Amino acid sequence: MQLLDTTTPRPPADGRGAAPPASPRKAGLWRRLRAARWSYLYLVPLMALLLTFVVYPIFGSLAYTFYRWNGIGSPEDFVGLGNFRQIAHDSIFWRAVGHTFVYAIVVVPVQLVLALVLALVLNNKKLRFSAFYRTLFFLPVVTSPAVVGVVIQLLVSNFGDTFNNWLLDAHLIGQPVDWLGSPKTALGIIILVGVWQTLGYNLVYFLAGLQTIPEEVYEAAKIDGAGRFRTFTHITVPLLRSVGLMIVILAFIGSFQIFDLVQVLTGGGPYFGTEVVNTYIYHLAFGGNQAQATEPDVGLASAASFFYGLLLISFSVLQVLIFRSIAKRRAAGRA
Amino acid sequence: MSPLNRRHFLAAASAAVGGTAITTLAGCSSSDPVPAGTKTINHWDWYVAQEPWLKHEIELFQKKNPTIKIKRTVQVSDKYPDLINLAFRGGNAPDMLMIPPDPKFDEQVNMGWLRALDSHATPQWRGHFPAGNFFNGVNMAQNKVYSAPFAGQAPWLQLYIHNKLFKQAGITNPDGSVKIPRTWDDVTAAAEAITQKSRGKAYGLGFGNAQSASLPWWVELFVRGAGSPAGYGSDGPDYRVGKWTFGSDRNYADFIGLLLDWKKRGYIYPHSMSIGDEQARAFFERGRFGMIVGGVWNQPTWAEHHFTDYSVTTLPSPTGVPQAFFYYPPGGRVWAISQPSTVSDEAWAWFDWLHSPAAGQRWVEAGQGLSIFPEANKNARISSAPFQAYVSFQKYALPWPVPAIRNPEASKVVIPAVKPDLPDVLAGLYTGQLSDLGAALTALEDRRNKALADGVKKAQAKGAKVSLADWVFQDWDPTKPYQNKPA
Repeated sequence: MQLLDTTTPRPPADGRGAAPPASPRKAGLWRRLRAARWSYLYLVPLMALLLTFVVYPIFGSLAYTFYRWNGIGSPEDFVGLGNFRQIAHDSIFWRAVGHTFVYAIVVVPVQLVLALVLALVLNNKKLRFSAFYRTLFFLPVVTSPAVVGVVIQLLVSNFGDTFNNWLLDAHLIGQPVDWLGSPKTALGIIILVGVWQTLGYNLVYFLAGLQTIPEEVYEAAKIDGAGRFRTFTHITVPLLRSVGLMIVILAFIGSFQIFDLVQVLTGGGPYFGTEVVNTYIYHLAFGGNQAQATEPDVGLASAASFFYGLLLISFSVLQVLIFRSIAKRRAAGRA
Repeated sequence: MSPLNRRHFLAAASAAVGGTAITTLAGCSSSDPVPAGTKTINHWDWYVAQEPWLKHEIELFQKKNPTIKIKRTVQVSDKYPDLINLAFRGGNAPDMLMIPPDPKFDEQVNMGWLRALDSHATPQWRGHFPAGNFFNGVNMAQNKVYSAPFAGQAPWLQLYIHNKLFKQAGITNPDGSVKIPRTWDDVTAAAEAITQKSRGKAYGLGFGNAQSASLPWWVELFVRGAGSPAGYGSDGPDYRVGKWTFGSDRNYADFIGLLLDWKKRGYIYPHSMSIGDEQARAFFERGRFGMIVGGVWNQPTWAEHHFTDYSVTTLPSPTGVPQAFFYYPPGGRVWAISQPSTVSDEAWAWFDWLHSPAAGQRWVEAGQGLSIFPEANKNARISSAPFQAYVSFQKYALPWPVPAIRNPEASKVVIPAVKPDLPDVLAGLYTGQLSDLGAALTALEDRRNKALADGVKKAQAKGAKVSLADWVFQDWDPTKPYQNKPA
């Protein structure tokens, strides 16, 4: 018996005047869009702000990359790709890229391990005052990096002598150290402050991830006789993997955007010893970090920011390719 | 009685806030009456240490001119060029402004930022100023007046000496007074004595270079004494040859070598690269080190803190006799009225007030610096010995050649910034990131001279009749005031 299809309109027998058959996929998409129309409506204000203040400036500044321009009047001095060439040959830019990567590569793993350990401790239901500790660890996150920078700078300069004297007395150093004024220590201090300041974010993400793991799984493991370490490696870590991946991505994005802490603590100095890409771009665009007025170069700064963007995109693509290749090899190994 | 629900609470709160606002506004209007027809001048400056003087001037001016109100906005000095640029672009430029160092003065005039003052700044008005103070490229453009000289000239950098530390280290004259260092060797000996005799509690020298500001000041002060007329701060080459000479003039290498030696010997406060100049000044005041280089702007803050136990000198030199001095372009400019101002007559009244000998005299009495009017400097009551010493240093500041006065086309040359510049190179050498002193200075010299050549080439391409020869003044004797003349 042939079943009567009542949902699909039939074309006339001669085939003329037939409406093209609606693609079931398209119809489904439209239905889904209509069903979620309120969600899209709520997204409109944020999208408008995003387009106006993020997307438009990105593409708006593209035109400036071809000019040498101090930001005053209209750009007239067309240099073509000269700005990109200059950036690519600038050793200070590459030093800044190096410092940014060092910052990210040190801060992210250290911070993630610390955040995970703290999250495990704070997730313990037997821990008293856990809400207080959570607040305490999250406090640096809600404090402005500029304020943190100023306070740390004052602490280092005011108590630097005392700290130096302790180290000298203990024969750990031979001569006093200029903590933020020496290229050997300044980046290290920025990294330390960076870890401390943004630790709270990852702690909260990990806590949220830990709370999604059902209690029954742990109970089952306990019944099966699994110890703490096995429970951690065989239950906690695998079940946190998806959250963890997101945390790693966010932590890297945040680290590559490092600016305010460096600007306030060292201004990128001494002699570019802590210059990161964002302070480098800022100094190009706004004329350096000196008491003497220097001519800003908005065109060069725009070119540097595009160049860095392209570098990061290349880095991300490379990362994806490597992950894919590893996944393929693993899959092949399993097969 | 009904309990206070959310709606009642919000209504009560709104009423309270509204009531308070009305009361406050009413209070304002009743206690601060504004005469009818009052006009407001929007005034921008970056004065911080000079603020007490400026506030006092505003008070006096408003009392004398009750229908003019000055609304002052103080801006961050190093961001001022950006802020003023944004203000002009956004159509909300102040009426009265401090002329930013960037873009060039002529460019500001060409862009229509500044108002020509000729209708007010008549030859008679200009006649109040000492002769030779109005020039194209300085405070005039295309023979129109846009600004006027304000401050008098003295060395803009001095060496400050902490009397107590000097006395404790035994650096005194037979009469017990502090022995002021005059030579490079004197400075070294004093630094050594303070560092060693204080047993780690104080250092001989200190500075605050966190903003890359103050290390170049040391170079500037010491190499001038040794006979190198091209400084960094006043930003001109050695006009005898029309070039920067960081690498070819041995005074730079000699002094920077001495500075590195002071560091190696532990005479310099170890956190000098971490702290800013303001912090360094505070640490000097507290006796953490015995000598600091700075300007006259140090003095008002120390006076506010009742710190007076210091002396001042300038231009320490290898022989004790300065071979070159501080230089300034004749004329000068600080303030201007913006072209778009709708209250230009009132702004002129305020401009005129600031450029009066009386305001200049109060400027000197407040210890802010010298006035352009010699009589204001002479009549001022000066109670502070260090400020009196600063006034006596006038003889060490001389007018120097200005290419744009000889050839106005030279003002069309924009010399691009170089990177790394002197502050960077000094920081690199001081922190050991640059190890070859001679190579670093020669490379810097090349960068600076190439920038000048590039600027000239670019101006020529745009039709300016200018050449590198415009920067050469073979008739300049750095020990004498230079008479600038149009070609």
